[in-house]
Amino acid sequence: MDNKHIEMRGVRKNFQFFTLDNLSLDLEAGEVMGFVGPNGAGKSTTLRLAMGMIAPDAGEIRLMGHAIPAAQAAAKRDVGYVSADMRLLPQATFGWHMDFMKSIYPEWDGSYAATLVKRFNLRPEQNARSLSLGERVKAVLLLALARRPRLLILDEPTTGLDPVARHEVISEFMDVLQDDGRSILFSSHNTVDVERISDRITFIDRGRIVESSNKEDFLDRWRRIHVQLPAGASLPELPNIVGRVIDGQFVTLTTDRYCEGLRALIGPHVREVQRMNLEEIFVANVMHHREVRGS
Amino acid sequence: MNIVTRKLLAKELYVNRGFLVMGSAAGIISTLIATLGKTGLNIGSLMWLTTIIAIGVMLGIYGIMHERKEHTLEFVLSLPVSIAEYVRAKVLGLWICFFIVWLASSVAALLLIFLKDSIPDGIAAYTVLLCFFMLANYGVVLCGMLEARSEAASTGIIVVTNMGISVFMFTVAPLAGIQNTMWGSTPVWNATFWTVLGCELAVLLITFTLPFLLAARRRDFF
Repeated sequence: MDNKHIEMRGVRKNFQFFTLDNLSLDLEAGEVMGFVGPNGAGKSTTLRLAMGMIAPDAGEIRLMGHAIPAAQAAAKRDVGYVSADMRLLPQATFGWHMDFMKSIYPEWDGSYAATLVKRFNLRPEQNARSLSLGERVKAVLLLALARRPRLLILDEPTTGLDPVARHEVISEFMDVLQDDGRSILFSSHNTVDVERISDRITFIDRGRIVESSNKEDFLDRWRRIHVQLPAGASLPELPNIVGRVIDGQFVTLTTDRYCEGLRALIGPHVREVQRMNLEEIFVANVMHHREVRGS
Repeated sequence: MNIVTRKLLAKELYVNRGFLVMGSAAGIISTLIATLGKTGLNIGSLMWLTTIIAIGVMLGIYGIMHERKEHTLEFVLSLPVSIAEYVRAKVLGLWICFFIVWLASSVAALLLIFLKDSIPDGIAAYTVLLCFFMLANYGVVLCGMLEARSEAASTGIIVVTNMGISVFMFTVAPLAGIQNTMWGSTPVWNATFWTVLGCELAVLLITFTLPFLLAARRRDFF
């Protein structure tokens, strides 16, 4: 049985000033993918394509095994979608929204919804129009979580939230992940959140996938190497160097394929080898790919 | 029609309940005002027209334009519904909302004509044509706004259709078949009446059907 919750192959989408090009993406059941990219990289477009809200100009998309956008109604039955921009109906209360979802989804878990209402400190009688940003995101998240979807697609859900609200939301994602069969595609430019919950990371920039790999693999491979060269000395030709900053006799190298052999090649001039966090890897990766693409 | 489409249709009635109640009440009240002498008739008629036009515009603005602008569309499209099902629920829901207000106002106006001795019954034919024109006009508003990709285009549709009411009044009322019978004691359903009504029904049919053929087949709905 096909175990992929999302499959995108060679997807292309043209807009007047932006093109999402040759995008391929797989999300396995039970996997949490952090989808990281700068503003305007194409994250939201990719997620909307996956949800069938917009149709690709080329390529193939499958969501929960269903062809998208043709069979989106069946596919979305098992998908919870939350976006930072998403608003509830302003003419209705939050309680009305819960009843509305309950009437559509037979699998709606009323006791879990009640638990989340308390945990998120929401008031069902409150009108959706009067919800603050944090309350709105938590309300939308509750509506998605309480129907126990097998896949959560989250488009920058923590953007604009205060640290406490962000902690509450992320903690809820962690709870979801207790169930091995459920998966999350989590888009953000906040690498701290992504690093915390994801086991796979995909970087996107200017409409193209830059790199996709396991989080641990990224963290293991990428290093900053600080070198102090004696006067007149120069570095040998080094493989897998994606960034180089020279400040007098001090050179900072960035590599995406660190190994002890590389350190040996540089020799005794290495002052320090630093691990990089996800944000540093993301920035270095994007800058390197922009250079390679000649922009 | 599946359960999600039915729920979305019911949602339209629920979120527009204020327009339904206020619009129907305003339509009926304006006809009551029209019974209060000549000035009352003028004010009531103006109020009656304004009510029907305004409700149509409000339903278009809040039901379609704001749904996109305020990102509630994203919430609706995240439900297990296809674009075609969404359009079906939206079109039917907004049509029912308008129809309730339109029907209450139209019936009230015709009752006023037939029950009030000082208003000649002959004007009923023209009133029926005016009512159906406003129904067809709403069809144009709804169909246009579902197709419009920008706020400016939607605003343009509202302006043009509002002007259409004046154009109708200035072109249909002077038609010989209408003008000559308008102030008579009995309504005359002559060929002119049926021709104009036929045109209105044709527009109504086209604007009701078009969203199912065009908007429902749109590839990008966001």
